[in-house]
Amino acid sequence: MSRPSHDAAEPQMIFEADDVAVHFGGVKAVDGLSFGLPEGKIVGILGPNGSGKSTLVGAITRHVPLTRGTLRFLGKDYGNDRAHLVPHRGIARTFQTVRLLEERTVLENVLLGTDSLSGGGRAERRLAHERAQVAMQRTGCEHLAKERPDELSYGNRRRVEIARAIAMEPKLLLVDEPTAGMGRAEKEEVSALMMSLRAEGLTQLIVEHDVQMMVDTCDILLAMNFGKLIVEGEPRDVVRNPAVQEAYLGKQAVNHA
Amino acid sequence: MIDWYTANSVVIQATMTTLLLALSIQLPLRMGVFSFAGVGCFGIGGYTAAIAFTKFGMGTWTAVAFGTVLAGVLCYLLGLLVHKLTGLYLGMATIAFALIVSVVATNGGSLTGGASGLFGALGGITNLHVFLLLAVVIIGLAISEAGRFGRKIDTVREDPELAVALGINVTRYRKLTFLASGLIGGLAGAVTTLLRSTITPAEVNFHLVVVALTVIIIGGSSSWLGAFIGAVFITWLPTVLSFVAEWEPIIYGFVVALAAIFLPGGILGLVKDLRHRRGARRGSTPPPEEGAAAPPDDEPHAPEPSRTPVPSQGGAL
Repeated sequence: MSRPSHDAAEPQMIFEADDVAVHFGGVKAVDGLSFGLPEGKIVGILGPNGSGKSTLVGAITRHVPLTRGTLRFLGKDYGNDRAHLVPHRGIARTFQTVRLLEERTVLENVLLGTDSLSGGGRAERRLAHERAQVAMQRTGCEHLAKERPDELSYGNRRRVEIARAIAMEPKLLLVDEPTAGMGRAEKEEVSALMMSLRAEGLTQLIVEHDVQMMVDTCDILLAMNFGKLIVEGEPRDVVRNPAVQEAYLGKQAVNHA
Repeated sequence: MIDWYTANSVVIQATMTTLLLALSIQLPLRMGVFSFAGVGCFGIGGYTAAIAFTKFGMGTWTAVAFGTVLAGVLCYLLGLLVHKLTGLYLGMATIAFALIVSVVATNGGSLTGGASGLFGALGGITNLHVFLLLAVVIIGLAISEAGRFGRKIDTVREDPELAVALGINVTRYRKLTFLASGLIGGLAGAVTTLLRSTITPAEVNFHLVVVALTVIIIGGSSSWLGAFIGAVFITWLPTVLSFVAEWEPIIYGFVVALAAIFLPGGILGLVKDLRHRRGARRGSTPPPEEGAAAPPDDEPHAPEPSRTPVPSQGGAL
């Protein structure tokens, strides 16, 4: 299904991390990571808990300060940007736990994705509404537009969050554990959604525990442990790699067999 | 109607000035900034206006403008210093700011009139003037509550990290809320002082924090309308309760405690909830009559427990 793209005729890298490190005191949460995200591909990060995956996402969004290293997006170094400028560059993210405004309707939550990135003119606001509508249709939550998030099931809350990120019309989408707490059918829906976004050219970086879903969805897998990259490559090769099996699958493979 | 107005003109005036003070505290709370600097600014605005009026012979409105702007500028500078503090620490720092204003006023010699304060600062302000000023402030706040501006402010309060991830400059919002809070607090102080003709250090004190918070807790912290409801409530309650004589403070205390416990969104929050529930019942989705509160549980996993909003002002107050 997916091709080992990073080895084939050198695709355009939309994002590059070079020797990125995040240390908290003596803890090296991320320790000298270098990798690129080829445009239009889905890259997955695999790793046991505490291996530095979420810190890495925080570093890419400039939420967590870098100890060293450079971040490049669309060819520009943005390692000194303040965090709120990163979405303006075209990088959107979702969170490990769904984060919505409980007092606002689903539509308003999705509109939030557009609020800071587009102007306040009448035409722009109408465009923002259209974008929100499209985003809700894509994620299958348009019928919930008038509901409040606290009335929704977990799966639907996740849909709203992804819709909000899509409404930002990002060039790179970072997805932190999108299917945590979902059933198999829902996971497949999320996976299908990501693949359909890829078909439109959206580059995605996924952090996820579900190995099966990662293998099915991603074009490239990066395996991390102790803040370092241990293997990178075609998903099936990565999950068969002995180092990965030992670090991650050793414990988990039983669950996913 | 006119008789009623004449009979109650003082209470109406007090309602409006109390509302202004409460709004200066409510705005930062809506932004998730636990700041009571508005109270210190009330003092700065009041004293500045009184000094400008009595010592420098300025007109009423020049004096009010001076008080308002000086309070706004000082509050903004305070904000630059303390905007990184959160929760209780910020609350304490800004209460200390109010107490410093009070101490400076007490020790200000003939300029501030020392412990006995300033007298004879009776400006030419009518209830209509106060109403118009209040209307301007409320229109500004209503704009900040509507549409995308309102959504962004809600996000800054409920989840600053999310706000940043959506491209909102949270630091700028936090700093500007100090400026706006200072301007409103200063205006409240200047107007109140020139209406009453006096200001003393004892008036710029912790009890103003209590008044403002009571207004916000009873009415609701999410909108100016909540503060309006709260201001009407606490200014008129003593009048309504006067027949119970010495029991009045106890009843008053009970009402405040009950509101804090049972009405996390204040009276306004209650009304909004009821309206939303009725709207949902009429809406297209068929909710079960009694179980409307229970979330649909057709998912294989229980809904995740809702996140505790970071320094949630609405609920925590």
